[in-house]
Amino acid sequence: MEKKKTMVKDIDRTIYDIKDKVHPSYEVKEGLTPEIVEEISKTKNDPKWMHDFRLKSLEIYNNLKVPDWGPSLDGLNMNDIVTYIRPDTPMRGNWAQVPDDIKNTFERLGIPEAERKSLAGVGAQYDSEVVYHNVREEVRRQGVVYTDMESAIRDPQYGSMVRDHFMKLVPPTDHKFAALHGAVWSGGSFVYVPPHVKVEIPLQSYFRLNAPGAGQFEHTLIILGEGADLHFIEGCSAPKYNVANLHAGCVELYVAKNAHLRYSTIENWSKNMYNLNTKRALVEEGGNMEWVSGSFGSHVSYLYPMSILNGENSRMEFTGITFAGKGQNLDTGAKVVHAAPHTYSDISTKSISKDGGTCTYRSSVVILPQAYGCKSSVNCESLMLDDRSRSDTIPVMDIQNDDVDVGHEAKIGRISDDAIFYLMSRGMSEEDARAMIVTGFAEPIAKELPVEYAVEMNNLIKLEMEGAIG
Amino acid sequence: MDVALRNVNMLPVRTWNRLGINDTGLQEKFSDPAPYRGKALAGSLPEGVSLTKKPFPVSDAETGMGKDTADFVESHSNCGVSLCAAAGTKAEKPVVLNYEISEKNPTVIDCNEITAEEGSEITVVMGYRSEGDVPGFHGGLTKLYAGKGAVIHLMQIQLLGDGCTHFDNVGAFAEEGGKIDIVQAELGGKHAFSGVKTRLGGTKSQLNMNAIYLGDHQRSIDINYIAQHTGRKTSSNINVSGALLDEGQKTFRGTIDFVRGAKQAVGHENEYNLLFSPKVRNRTAPLILCQEEDVDGQHAASTGRIDAARLFYLMSRGLSEAEAKKLIIEAQFHPVIDRIPDMELKKEVSDFVKGRLSQLESMG
Repeated sequence: MEKKKTMVKDIDRTIYDIKDKVHPSYEVKEGLTPEIVEEISKTKNDPKWMHDFRLKSLEIYNNLKVPDWGPSLDGLNMNDIVTYIRPDTPMRGNWAQVPDDIKNTFERLGIPEAERKSLAGVGAQYDSEVVYHNVREEVRRQGVVYTDMESAIRDPQYGSMVRDHFMKLVPPTDHKFAALHGAVWSGGSFVYVPPHVKVEIPLQSYFRLNAPGAGQFEHTLIILGEGADLHFIEGCSAPKYNVANLHAGCVELYVAKNAHLRYSTIENWSKNMYNLNTKRALVEEGGNMEWVSGSFGSHVSYLYPMSILNGENSRMEFTGITFAGKGQNLDTGAKVVHAAPHTYSDISTKSISKDGGTCTYRSSVVILPQAYGCKSSVNCESLMLDDRSRSDTIPVMDIQNDDVDVGHEAKIGRISDDAIFYLMSRGMSEEDARAMIVTGFAEPIAKELPVEYAVEMNNLIKLEMEGAIG
Repeated sequence: MDVALRNVNMLPVRTWNRLGINDTGLQEKFSDPAPYRGKALAGSLPEGVSLTKKPFPVSDAETGMGKDTADFVESHSNCGVSLCAAAGTKAEKPVVLNYEISEKNPTVIDCNEITAEEGSEITVVMGYRSEGDVPGFHGGLTKLYAGKGAVIHLMQIQLLGDGCTHFDNVGAFAEEGGKIDIVQAELGGKHAFSGVKTRLGGTKSQLNMNAIYLGDHQRSIDINYIAQHTGRKTSSNINVSGALLDEGQKTFRGTIDFVRGAKQAVGHENEYNLLFSPKVRNRTAPLILCQEEDVDGQHAASTGRIDAARLFYLMSRGLSEAEAKKLIIEAQFHPVIDRIPDMELKKEVSDFVKGRLSQLESMG
């Protein structure tokens, strides 16, 4: 008798796929030329240093090659991408003033409700610009700055801080799409938490790309003072179009001595999106960087948040889940460089591939000669739900001194018949047993997410089981 | 002659170029290969095994170090044998091949083929040695074919001196129920490269791969093992363990590749590295590639210093720190050395390891 397959439904994307009518107040032509970059710089009223930075980045972009090691980017043609598209509204500090169609989009995604219930501040970006930014008064009184990047660059108090940190951690020379970001970036959030300030409830930025054939290049810069504490949440989505969209954002996180930053992302781009995002954190002495990352959307993703453990006793933890379905090639993972003694890293990931989707776990752990007394642990598990899909595990460890303790474990496989049998022998139906196993597989990640995101994740992975043991 | 081989020990799937692990190059200047002076085959062939001129059964055999390296050996070889174990025979004793680098044989390039016909079993022991630290070059290509239900045991023991650069390139294929059992000991040489690719094509075919390495002084070791599962119910088991001392460097790439259709295949890989000096460098890329749902793939790696409790226990029994460390390294190598079927060779390998460890400065 032929084995019946476990059926796992595709992610229900209905609310993400609702398209707004595109009526920008301004957009540049498709493609990438010095004139277009000049035009973006002019329309954004960049200071001179930023104008020069953009043009230099474009030059670097033109001299760098497309990566030769990841998923194919053949479907991405920069000549077809609109790099800047401004919605027909200035940035607001009040939801009521945001135009109805844009507001309704964010309402459907639950952002204003989340702000009321459980967030200290919200930023909402629509295409290339931030349309709403607000932070609770009590948080503002603590000295916390949470604003859009453009305002931050021109801010008399924080402008120089932004200049000192902007693309210093991810220089445009890092790779081709970092250079692209440097040339055409727009939007994003700036956060500064003063020393010893603990932000009790999370801040959240939500990025929505509505226009077809457009790119979103937001820049997120977070600077924590000594002993500061913050949880930052990032969400992204877009409706599905038949043309390629591009997201090449950049996230730079500075975690000072004894500070703690948790950075959670739920990425749910539509399946025509090329998600080539770069995230990096610099962690100083005793600092603690936690990444929680859920990758569900996009056609192709290259996403590997990196932590540089620069100060003694600093640490990072990365917890990630990736779910690739039909037409998706999601190449995700993490990178860590141990650059100081007694640093600690822990990477734990899960991936699920189904219906012809490809998941690749890719990581690197580098321990430099001076980083003695370090510990690193990597654990990745992959679940294959059918034999049309693909799941690859590509970790690298480069250890350059002997005083280390490095462990790595990887597992790949299917839902075990023994586990199903055991649960059924305890009185469960087979459907319930399968559902429990898949939910249990994702559970260690789900529990790291804020409650409302865990619920979203469970909605995303609508698991519906049927089948019988062969 | 000068050799500059590229695309050596390539990862089957590339990763970030800046890590420098996607592949390596092999550049060396050495004496032109002259006909090998001496006899590689020690003693007589066991019953059932013969030298053969038959073409190797697999025309597209891929190897661990890659095509450039294989082509180089095929066009420059100055020694090597083609062996065939007749169907249904089980060789009682091993075939022993000794390749020695000396002043009269400074360049050894051996090209070997081992075919085990249906239901046969053969053991081949290859030893690579040199006269002290005489400068020399060794490059080897060995192809293995295990027919239906056949078993090939291959032991490659590399005990070269510090004047030699060495590579061993292996390509293996197993038919239904065939078994490939490989032991590699990379214990000497200045630069050592080794690659083994096994295609488990037949249902229930198996690979058992056990390797040890010792990277002392300024030695570099570069390894690439690939177990490609294409047949149903195939199994692979790869175990690598070794020690890095002084300024030793090692790169290990290990891939388990489950191709679509390899239902119920099982692939396990374990790596255990002991580090003894702040100047060592250990690089590892353990890949699992999977296009099949019904498989079980696992990889585990552990890298670090000797467990302090073990060291303390041995020292509390009266051993010095250096003696305790040597004992632990020897103990780590023993499960592999014990697989060598010849008592004399077993002792030679054990003494070689002891000899190298006794010269070490970084043993505390």
